[in-house]
Amino acid sequence: MSPVGEPLSTASTFPLQLDIDSDTLASCVACGMCLPHCPTYRVTGEESASPRGRIAMMRDAAERGEADAAFVEFMDACIQCRGCETACPAGVHYGHMMEATREALASQTNYQPRLRRLAYRALGMPRLLGFGSRLLGLSQRLGLVRLLSLLGRVRPFRQLGAMTASLPRVPVRQAPLTASGDDVWLFTGCVMDAWMRDTHRAVQAVIEATGAGVALPPAGAACCGSLHLHAGLASDTRRLAQKVMAALPGEAPILIDSAGCGATMKEYGHLLGTEEARQFAGRVQDVHEWLAARVDDLPEGAGSRAQRPRIAVQDPCHLRHVQQAHLPVRTVLSRFFDVVELDDDGLCCGAGGAYSQQHPEVAGAVRERKVAAIERTGASVIASANPGCTLHLQAAGLDVRYPLEIVAEHLDGGAPA
Amino acid sequence: MLVGYGRGVASGDDAADAALLADLRGVLGDRARDNDFERGLYSRDGSIEGSPPAIVCLPESAAEVAQIVRVCRRHSRPFLARGSGTGLAGGAVPVGRPVVIATAKMDRIIEVDIDNRVAWVEPGVLNLDLSRALTPQGFHFAPDPSSQQVCSIGGNIANNSGGPHCLAYGVTTAHIAALEVVLPSGDTTILGGVEAEPAGFDLRGLFVGSEGTMGIATKAAVRLTPNAPAVRTLLLDFDDVSEGSAAVSAIIAAGLVPSALEMMDQRAIEIVEAFAHAGYPTGAAAVLLVELDGLPGGVEAGVEIVRDVAHKHHVGNVRVAADDEERALLWKGRKNAFGAVARIKPDYYLHDTVVPRSKLTEVLEKVYRIADAYGLIAVNVFHAGDGNLHPILAFDRREPGVDERVKAAGRDIVAASIEAGGVLSGEHGIGLEKRDYMGMLFSAHDMYTQDVVRETFDPDGLANPLKIIPTGSRCSDSFHQHVPEGAWV
Repeated sequence: MSPVGEPLSTASTFPLQLDIDSDTLASCVACGMCLPHCPTYRVTGEESASPRGRIAMMRDAAERGEADAAFVEFMDACIQCRGCETACPAGVHYGHMMEATREALASQTNYQPRLRRLAYRALGMPRLLGFGSRLLGLSQRLGLVRLLSLLGRVRPFRQLGAMTASLPRVPVRQAPLTASGDDVWLFTGCVMDAWMRDTHRAVQAVIEATGAGVALPPAGAACCGSLHLHAGLASDTRRLAQKVMAALPGEAPILIDSAGCGATMKEYGHLLGTEEARQFAGRVQDVHEWLAARVDDLPEGAGSRAQRPRIAVQDPCHLRHVQQAHLPVRTVLSRFFDVVELDDDGLCCGAGGAYSQQHPEVAGAVRERKVAAIERTGASVIASANPGCTLHLQAAGLDVRYPLEIVAEHLDGGAPA
Repeated sequence: MLVGYGRGVASGDDAADAALLADLRGVLGDRARDNDFERGLYSRDGSIEGSPPAIVCLPESAAEVAQIVRVCRRHSRPFLARGSGTGLAGGAVPVGRPVVIATAKMDRIIEVDIDNRVAWVEPGVLNLDLSRALTPQGFHFAPDPSSQQVCSIGGNIANNSGGPHCLAYGVTTAHIAALEVVLPSGDTTILGGVEAEPAGFDLRGLFVGSEGTMGIATKAAVRLTPNAPAVRTLLLDFDDVSEGSAAVSAIIAAGLVPSALEMMDQRAIEIVEAFAHAGYPTGAAAVLLVELDGLPGGVEAGVEIVRDVAHKHHVGNVRVAADDEERALLWKGRKNAFGAVARIKPDYYLHDTVVPRSKLTEVLEKVYRIADAYGLIAVNVFHAGDGNLHPILAFDRREPGVDERVKAAGRDIVAASIEAGGVLSGEHGIGLEKRDYMGMLFSAHDMYTQDVVRETFDPDGLANPLKIIPTGSRCSDSFHQHVPEGAWV
């Protein structure tokens, strides 16, 4: 049953070897059930922006052994939220297929230009990242960033201008965290430690409220490699994974307070293919998963459910669709708060790690749907267990916080709203 | 006299395509696409074959659709509308380098008119999105195909789609009050009306189910159905398929019209359970999913009647869903059954025939025999209440020669259904898939008459050509339209 009609033309194409086996490529029956769960299809209505369409194009490119600029553009437009995997009746591993496609593009084409590769590499260098962040924070306070974004009105600096303007206010000085024991590791990561260390502080406080002691990783465990993986730089991820694994030895659970990092670290086994990596991945938990099993060790919440403050939960895709660990967030939050659900089936918010910086228009359109869903709940405080989603939604003027920051504040006697 | 449809099939002339593209770009800008990869994406729907269109158009308004149609007419180029591309009969598969008009961007709910119990919507609105948007007002759109979460209202209109709950509520045509339509001439008109009895012929009724051969719906007034105050969903399992299908007839004979009455066989139960984890009994030979809705007292009485009937037919267990969550999980399994077939084989071919309820057992047995004879796997999951069979043939297209076997088995299944007093299609449409089977059910005169009706709307044969009616149905056919080889199984 070969397609009828003329073969597709081969104008302005380049060779591309996709390392995806034909059984995997054939696993999609094109039923289309993924379409409404794909944020980019939702805002464009175009097949090329859907999981079904992207898989068909991967199949096409794999058979032809070549691709073109449009193919690269279509693959790059995926947020990699993996909402399609939750929806797929056939259990297609879309995420792995997209990662393999991006890896092929990054290694065989100039998909990731040199400058961008260097920027990704800096994530694994905590001193450089810390220095750069302080410099950025200082520049923001001195109004230099505004100057840069003004400069963005001039064509050659447009992207730089837009990027710097959309960045959150970065702290110049942050107090260090202090370890309190060795029951669990708290993974602190790269950008999150440089920009949002107070989130770690709150998470540590809630873990300690259960009576457990928290160990902190040395500088070697600086970056999980998640952004690299999504950019097609899987070899960087594998290198970083080795460093992370070496820096977090022993048997203690490794708790993650960023859904994106947790999703990648749970896949170290798949990525490295070693027994050691599989065992390591088995120790990785989202901090809410760990807490949900010990929720009775936390102080009691006050009052009946109706009397408690209302908190809307926005599920990060890498928690809900990749880790399937979104329910524990509710277990922990509902001990203290009246948890309100969104009605959008966990559709992505558009953040997608570096995606919102690289595709601001699509990311903004996707975010509009999320903001509308949040507004329908009537809740004024939103909990989101991933730093990328938090920053992206905060930029739309919403009061979005990490769930355990709200809990820590509550345990401290503060009101959430 | 020429056969209308298919006359404009283009030859693949690059210069003609370029001129057409330039004119379409004039209407749509960069929303007229001719990229190879992208044309490939619009070459098929949810069925198994396809061929790329010349150009893909992504309009955002009815006015743009009308302009696209006028451009196509000027270039004598066929065109066809596409919704979400989930059709299973090839209705949205391009044949003869047409222009595809994808309506997915036209997805606004324009107005909800509770007083008249209608909502005006654009064709790209997704079926389930519409029902969800109506939930706060206590209404929904009743037709609920399995692909409900993704299929569009425009596609539902084109195929006169059904769904599990159409047993009690009727198929799409019962839920469309009026349509704004771009005719193949490029003119826009309104068919039907929101008033109780619009004047003149019911052209709306003619248009619904015409699979894009009479024009393109750009707006629809859909009827709103109130949400039932009480709903009960039962899962009955049987050790024997024939006991299950006998129970179907017995439930109806007992005077009940359940809102849904679905059947799944053992293979279907297994694949569905692997996806949905809804607690489907994987050891059973068949299950019935029965839903009753209405006022609480009536629904509870109905549950008891179903229970009694089921016991007379040696039911294993009667499970009544305890709450909405359990109900939703059971339906999630049922509604994802087709896609879940990929857990057995990477391709599937899904038939859609209707047989008298009393013949269910007999035809099902034939389906299994036919599949066995061709070395294929048959999975059955279907609307038992109205005798609408959906035998799925699971296969791997990479196996040499398998396509001929699938094709032959499909034809035998259609023949067996018709022999049992059934018809060609329940709800998926004729499209390309069943076009060449039309002669099994209709006489030459029947098809001629249908073709005349079609030609009244589309004298130049540009609206979704080569679909529904087989070529050569006109007695005076002097124009032998060449059907591209292998255009359909």
